[in-house]
Amino acid sequence: MSEPRSYTAVEAKIIGALRARPNDTEVDELAVAVGEPHPHVAGTLRVLADLGIVGLREETVTEYQLGPKGKGLPSGMLPERVVMVALAARGRIALRDLEAATGLAQKDAGRALKPLESKGFAVREGGDLVARGVLAQGQTPELMEHERLVAHLAGGGSGMRPALSAVGIDVDRALAELEGRGGIITTKERRRWWARLTEQGRALREEDMVVRQTVTALDTGLLKDGSWRGVDFRPYDVGLASRRLFPGKEHPLRRVLGDTRRVFLDLGFTEVTSPLVESAFWDFDALFQPQDHPAREMQDTFYVQRPERASLPSAEVVRRVQRTHEDGGDTGSIGWDYRWNRAIAERVVLRTHTTAGTIRALADNPRPPRKIFLVGTVFRREAVDYKHLPLFYQVDGIIIDEHASFASLLGTLDAFYRKMGFERFEFRPGFFPYTEPSVEVFVWHEAKKDWVEMGGAGVFREEVTKPFGCSVPVLAWGLGLERLAMFRYGLESIRDLYLSDLAWLREVPLCR
Amino acid sequence: MPVVGIPIDRLRRLLGSPVEVHEMVRGLQRMGCDIEGFGTLRRFKCRVCGFVLERTQTEADPGYCDNCLADFATSEAVMPLPPVEVLRLELLAVRPDMFDVGGLARALRAYLGISPGLSTYHLDPPRMRVTVHPGMDVPGCSRPAIGCAVIRGVQFDDDLLKEVMRLQENLHWALGRDRRRASIGTYDLSTISAGVAYRPVEPEELVFRPLGWQDAATPGRILREHPKGRAFAHLLEGFVRYPLLIDDRGQVLSMPPIINSEETKVTTTTRDVFIDVTGPRIEIVSRCLNVILTSILEFSPGARGEQVELVHQDGTHLMTPDLMPQEMVMDLDAARKLLGIGVSDEEAPGLLSRMGHHAEPAGRSRLQVLIPAYRPDFLHQRDLMEELAIAFGYDRIWPTLVPTMTVGQPHPEEGLAAEYRGILTGLGLTEVMTLLLGSEETHYAAFGLPTPEDAVLIANPISQEQTLGRTWLMPGLMETVSRNTSREMPHRLFEVGHVLRVDAAEETGVRQSLRAGIALAGPAIGFADIRSVMEALVRETGHGLCVKPLSRPYYIEGRAAGILNDSGEAVGEMGEIHPEVLERLKLIQPAAYGEIAVG
Repeated sequence: MSEPRSYTAVEAKIIGALRARPNDTEVDELAVAVGEPHPHVAGTLRVLADLGIVGLREETVTEYQLGPKGKGLPSGMLPERVVMVALAARGRIALRDLEAATGLAQKDAGRALKPLESKGFAVREGGDLVARGVLAQGQTPELMEHERLVAHLAGGGSGMRPALSAVGIDVDRALAELEGRGGIITTKERRRWWARLTEQGRALREEDMVVRQTVTALDTGLLKDGSWRGVDFRPYDVGLASRRLFPGKEHPLRRVLGDTRRVFLDLGFTEVTSPLVESAFWDFDALFQPQDHPAREMQDTFYVQRPERASLPSAEVVRRVQRTHEDGGDTGSIGWDYRWNRAIAERVVLRTHTTAGTIRALADNPRPPRKIFLVGTVFRREAVDYKHLPLFYQVDGIIIDEHASFASLLGTLDAFYRKMGFERFEFRPGFFPYTEPSVEVFVWHEAKKDWVEMGGAGVFREEVTKPFGCSVPVLAWGLGLERLAMFRYGLESIRDLYLSDLAWLREVPLCR
Repeated sequence: MPVVGIPIDRLRRLLGSPVEVHEMVRGLQRMGCDIEGFGTLRRFKCRVCGFVLERTQTEADPGYCDNCLADFATSEAVMPLPPVEVLRLELLAVRPDMFDVGGLARALRAYLGISPGLSTYHLDPPRMRVTVHPGMDVPGCSRPAIGCAVIRGVQFDDDLLKEVMRLQENLHWALGRDRRRASIGTYDLSTISAGVAYRPVEPEELVFRPLGWQDAATPGRILREHPKGRAFAHLLEGFVRYPLLIDDRGQVLSMPPIINSEETKVTTTTRDVFIDVTGPRIEIVSRCLNVILTSILEFSPGARGEQVELVHQDGTHLMTPDLMPQEMVMDLDAARKLLGIGVSDEEAPGLLSRMGHHAEPAGRSRLQVLIPAYRPDFLHQRDLMEELAIAFGYDRIWPTLVPTMTVGQPHPEEGLAAEYRGILTGLGLTEVMTLLLGSEETHYAAFGLPTPEDAVLIANPISQEQTLGRTWLMPGLMETVSRNTSREMPHRLFEVGHVLRVDAAEETGVRQSLRAGIALAGPAIGFADIRSVMEALVRETGHGLCVKPLSRPYYIEGRAAGILNDSGEAVGEMGEIHPEVLERLKLIQPAAYGEIAVG
């Protein structure tokens, strides 16, 4: 015996309706009887069936409906009937006039001839269609079986197979007559449900049932007067999908840039900015890159046509840089041994590295201790492919400190990559014109099973630092950031970062 | 950087000691070489000029000779050679002494401890004399520096010949800056007499047969018509006479830095070789000569080097090459401090010898170092410290942090940009990042605007889509909207980024400023939507929205406003985008846009 249970209003109504019907009752009919939506009644019946109050019987029935062509027939009249009516009135119609006489499309009119001829209602004579049988007497014959089916459905009659049998339509014969004429009748398998009260259900006495109201939405009214206490809340199918929402998000690359900034701020660095459009002086000359260095060539560097020239810093600074290039000046170096040209240094470029910004910061204030970093866009004159874009992001940093050493450079890089979530990386010798010793950082790419180069670093040469009055070691690095983002988000092509496919931007999880 | 294939078998033979391939690779990587991998090279020999062409497994067979341009398709001019297993190595521009199999073997022998220390080369006294004409250092013909050498007893085969040619080519690239600073010639010594002159020649004064041609031609015609002449003619711009090497019998050796003569070229039957390097400055010419001479001696065992006597008009006699090592003193205390490693006085000389140097103590914590003459990159004792670090091994250096305490400080502008991004993402907008470069068409014409007078123009753009620096954010944002029409609408996007404008008052001639752009697109989007976003943004940054009507070709007339700051200056704009612009962008949903200066 189950626990005593209160009943919802709908449950009570359904039990009441079934009690009044001794036979099996179809769910459609029951829904009409209790005045509730069909899915709600069906759902409630299942609950009652689980309680053993209701018995359910399921049956699959074939239902016939008018297809798209059948729905288009004028008052359910098939073309053959249209022709028959016309022929009964006229007795003879020239085939070429058939369309005009019947208002049918040529194809439909043609189709109608076959059943007429096969049933002996008409024959072709020369170019004419001539009435025979009842048609010749000016009468139209009774509806053929398939016409009856179409007319019945067009008139809103039930298409259920048992219902059709009940009105005396031989569905099989009708379908045979329609063979080869798709789109007039379609068939559909429908499940039908019948319910009746079980013995246990019949034993329930109406006066014993405690009935509670069921509500869908909790509203102000229910809350205000406390009537929510007397109602049940309709349970939901919690597995159903809900609307997908996407938060406003920063770009994935921006998150990598932001994390990079945070790491260096945490390590005690001061952030600087510097011009995107830069003089060749700061981009190259100040970094002891000889004026005929291949990196300065037009094929690798974007030069600017407007504006054409940049101003250089004080004459004294320019003179020191010039001397360092020419013969080493007072840096202890022999220099590059050529004639330095001011006009070349005044040319305007799109900065090729953010080191242009850190050397500016060093020139600005070379007094140790200083830790400086800069995250920004740099430009390289490269054709676009999956690995290259004409611009990308770098983080550059310098440490001006009398205790700085190559070992502390490696330690700083180590700290950065660890904080960015990398565990396997390697330092290998590198060669750059403005650092000595130099190092290249490689990070292990698990998917590719290979080392991937991330950037370069080194101790600034004295030819770089001394002209700006700095005499302590300066550690410097420039690291690419797109590759970090590609690692983090599993991208194959650098272009994916900038294509801004909104589907990707929306779906890519913030937490990585 | 060029990538070359180094034959593994030959490298192993030259090492003179059994070394596993992975040891070689590791050694080279620890010296700073980028190893791209391994491969099999298919090789083809040109029967016309003897040049050996190499192709990887995936490349197509050569259709013509890379060297003499002989057609391989129609003739029997090409002969396949057996394939060879190679180590694919990216050339290290600063180490031209490691461009070839001989130089790599030398460096590895020292690094792996097979034969550490200075490699020395015996040079026989000169038997050749080169006279340098005073007219080589005058306006109108100036390529004064020359160095020469002789190698006798080379056993040339196709591979060795190929190695010499490739080394020459790569030295032209790295040290010669495409032959400008140094160009190298190699000749079959048996085809020339013992006396050679380096002298200027009038463009039409004489004729000789350049490499690859059947007929002789004047220097002037070669510059105008020969493929190499045309390719390098710019190096002789401004020359009224051309530099030539001619022997006593009148046989032309070459016209540096353009081309050699056909008659004197090196072939597989050559035994003795004459080498010249010319250029504007003697230092680079000498380094280049030292590299090529010692490398050839390295990879052709049994060959002997020989000096050449250079006679200048003023009577000075000079012997080249000069393989005297460069001397440099290194302060070990300074090195230990700079590197942060505890290498001892006793350990240091051994480490430097693994980089091919010779080092001896010269007082407390000082080393006297001899640097081989084929190493061109020692400007400063710092360069030696790097050698010490590489020999010590970067993986043995214990990473530390500078002990000095400093306080982190963000840049105000970056901090402000981050605030703007926070507000806009809080409003549910998605950030996009677009390129800072654009074109007149996509950035202005598409919006019915002329290109601004103060846009930054690129002199050498790489594509038509990127010819200028952006002055506003709208084109990038609207292009993103346009590219995403198949994605679920509405789109609510923003970008905070820099724009560039020419400004003579700025040091670099360009003012760069930070702006925030917002694009909304989708059903029923209109002016009110963008106004709400802009109002919220302005309010959250601590100001009030102040607007006045604005007329722009890309906004619907009467549905756009300029945004003013608290002092009444125009700092932004917003509006409902004109259907004509939408049509151009292939958008079938309404859109609205707003942009404002950050700060």
